[in-house]
Amino acid sequence: MSPKPMLRNVLLGATIIAGMTAAAIAQVPPADQPPGTGNATPPAEQPAPPADSFAPPSPNAPQSPGVNAANIPDGPPAEPSEATPMVEQVTANPAHDDWPGYGRDDRATRFSPLDQITPSNVGHLKRAFIYHTGSKPAPGQTNKWAAETTPIKVGDGLYMCSAMNDMMRIDPATGKEVWHFHANEKYDSIPYTAACKAVVYYTSSTVPEGEHCHHRILEATLDERLIEVDSEDGKVCEGFGWHGMVNLMKGMGESVPGFVAETAPPPIVNGAIITNQEILDGQRRWAPSGVIRGYDAETGRFLWAWDVNRPHEHGEPKEGEHYSRGTPNSWAAMIGDNALGLVYVPTGNSAADYYSAMRSPEENKVSSAVVAIDVKTGEPRWVFQTVHKDVWDYDIGSQPTLMDFTKPDGTTVPALIMPTKRGQTFVLDRRTGDPVLPVEERPAPSPGMVPGDTRAPTQPWSVGMPRLGFAPLKEADMWGMSPIDQLYCRLKYRRAHYVGEFTPPSIDKPWLEYPGYNGGSDWGSVAYDEKTGILIANWNNTPMYDQLVNRKKADQLGLMPVDDPNYKPGGGGAEGAGAMAETPYGIVVSPFWDEYTGMMCNRPPYGMITAIDMHTQKVLWQHPLGSARANGPFGLPTHLPLNIGTPNNGGPVITAGGLIFVAATTDNMIHAFDIHTGKEVWNDVLPGGGQATPMTYEYKGKQYVAIMAGGHHFMMTPVTDDLVVYALDNVN
Amino acid sequence: MSSFMRPQDAAGWATLVLAVIIILLGLPLVYMGAELAALGGSWYYVICGLAVTLSGVLMALGRVAGALLYLAACAFTWLWALWEVGLDGWGLLPRVFGPSLIAIAVLLCMPVLKRAEAAHSPSARKVA
Repeated sequence: MSPKPMLRNVLLGATIIAGMTAAAIAQVPPADQPPGTGNATPPAEQPAPPADSFAPPSPNAPQSPGVNAANIPDGPPAEPSEATPMVEQVTANPAHDDWPGYGRDDRATRFSPLDQITPSNVGHLKRAFIYHTGSKPAPGQTNKWAAETTPIKVGDGLYMCSAMNDMMRIDPATGKEVWHFHANEKYDSIPYTAACKAVVYYTSSTVPEGEHCHHRILEATLDERLIEVDSEDGKVCEGFGWHGMVNLMKGMGESVPGFVAETAPPPIVNGAIITNQEILDGQRRWAPSGVIRGYDAETGRFLWAWDVNRPHEHGEPKEGEHYSRGTPNSWAAMIGDNALGLVYVPTGNSAADYYSAMRSPEENKVSSAVVAIDVKTGEPRWVFQTVHKDVWDYDIGSQPTLMDFTKPDGTTVPALIMPTKRGQTFVLDRRTGDPVLPVEERPAPSPGMVPGDTRAPTQPWSVGMPRLGFAPLKEADMWGMSPIDQLYCRLKYRRAHYVGEFTPPSIDKPWLEYPGYNGGSDWGSVAYDEKTGILIANWNNTPMYDQLVNRKKADQLGLMPVDDPNYKPGGGGAEGAGAMAETPYGIVVSPFWDEYTGMMCNRPPYGMITAIDMHTQKVLWQHPLGSARANGPFGLPTHLPLNIGTPNNGGPVITAGGLIFVAATTDNMIHAFDIHTGKEVWNDVLPGGGQATPMTYEYKGKQYVAIMAGGHHFMMTPVTDDLVVYALDNVN
Repeated sequence: MSSFMRPQDAAGWATLVLAVIIILLGLPLVYMGAELAALGGSWYYVICGLAVTLSGVLMALGRVAGALLYLAACAFTWLWALWEVGLDGWGLLPRVFGPSLIAIAVLLCMPVLKRAEAAHSPSARKVA
């Protein structure tokens, strides 16, 4: 035994003692913790005008330099129009060997028909090559990286983007770079996270085969551009937008770099590229718009906008005007439906996530919902809401998966599976948005504890689907390494408001948010095997500890929006404390943990994987996902192979070989499970955190499995620029 | 009034250090446990914290009763833990693992305490 692991084991042992005393010594929580009882005085009856130390910028103020990153000329506001007709795309019927889209196909099944790798030979899986994207933090830069990338494979090319939007084509057998498109993105443009989930493969209907830009690679960028390049040489498509680019900041009004960004691949539906955008959470009530827009896939021409507070105006805003501010933003990967002419948009929350009193009725109808939009006109066809008047950051992170649902009477319904952070999985009719499996409106805690901001009396529960979650927390569920840190967590539990799911936000003391905003299901989404009807979902079990603070307290804590001239990075972020400027309150959010040991306060597991039979809606198997090897008290790895179940971000993949591949966990491993038994049949330690969805492809008779081991800053896993690709070592 | 142990050897010092550690671990149990009970939570911690703190004090005074009280508190902890979480491994870990390790240390200190108590007792003085 080498001295280092021994030292760690000794330290672990010492934790039992030290952890007990450490928890006891200081009772003053660190600055990023909810301030607790008595530290946040409720505001007076009439909230005074916000005592900000600056005047909020006018939404009509010019955009800061760098917001239009490539200085793309905008031209006059465009009227609505229709897309150039589209030819069938490779994702409609993917070639056997290919993985041509983010979720592999037009239905986002994440299912591959490849069967060379099976539970019996998976032990022979070895690294074939590692490709370096070149994007990771430079020395001195705050780590905001989490690449989250899934490559796509079409024919002879493996295509991907780096965390900062360079695009690359790689040889699928060797990992050799064929071309590299430099997006020249600035560090300032990184919003909460530098991520690029995937590029999109598009075949032109107007450029003939054999000519430049017949086959194109499209991406949406962190600095709000659409870029199309040729799939063969990686050079921009001059016929698209302005020298291959479209400026998505047009019409967005006042903004600064990093406030608005795109991290998900934009779907192309009947010739229309559909864009959504992530707006940095928790900044200000009148943040830039969550508008959904269509652009022509051939030319980049603007087609339409769906702007929540201008519901019937589908053109671009007039000169000097802008899309409606603060509306629900959608940042998840969307999915299209060419047959029905719809795009399904998983929406998030209006700006200022934890305070709803200033939202319009239009916003309240469409936040934290699935909205089906007609891709010809931009007109919404139906809406299904998963949380009413969301003040818990239960925005939808998952991409919907499409399926044909067979009803008990034998009829088939075109359906959509919508996983949510709540762990409620809704199955909806794609034509109408009506639930295919029963949904109940159940009473929820109401009217809440914030003056003038009442909670909805009921919330929807998908009672026909197994819940990806556990029962409400009890004091006895608190955990720790010793009686003292367990006692500390029991105290934290008792010091907070908690009446189960949908405990309303509170000002006088913290409240427990469970499920937390990391899910349930987050952006990893689910995988679905249409032949067997098996659905695979990996999910989180990580409560949050939140508190509203009045404006004075928020100012004391240094909470400022990102476009405040005095803003300091780290002074408030999308996932932590936020100023929520232009509302009466700021928000302090932290994991429900023992901040001294860094361990979660609730008992394990913190992450799970579940297999559901969609024919019967019964759980086939379910177990904790992820080991304790790289986690432990005080951030020390325990090296214990205990299957504790860790938080996880990144989706699963199913193969016809009977395997599930999933990384996602904070043990920095990629795992393979036998789909029928749930047994782990293979794993490998990655060079960085595997917070991405893997993919698989076949090339020249050999099956490969690829995973971006890019890590994740929030999950505190090692960040690398390594795409790790595996193949069987006994196949030539 | 009894006086604190006057350690003569390494075993004596180890016993005194253990007694001080037990006091230091018992006090936060009392302090935070009282708040927990006041907030409507479990009474286990404040009760057990008082017993553990007292056991540490008695051990520091060289009394076998201190060790016995600690062992009783540990046994009580086992019963409480099994009542609260049953035979669940993850649930038992924070409740009984650390206290049981300390109980082993307390058992190892028993001969030292017995010697110290014998030295203090009137009969021992007569012999001397």
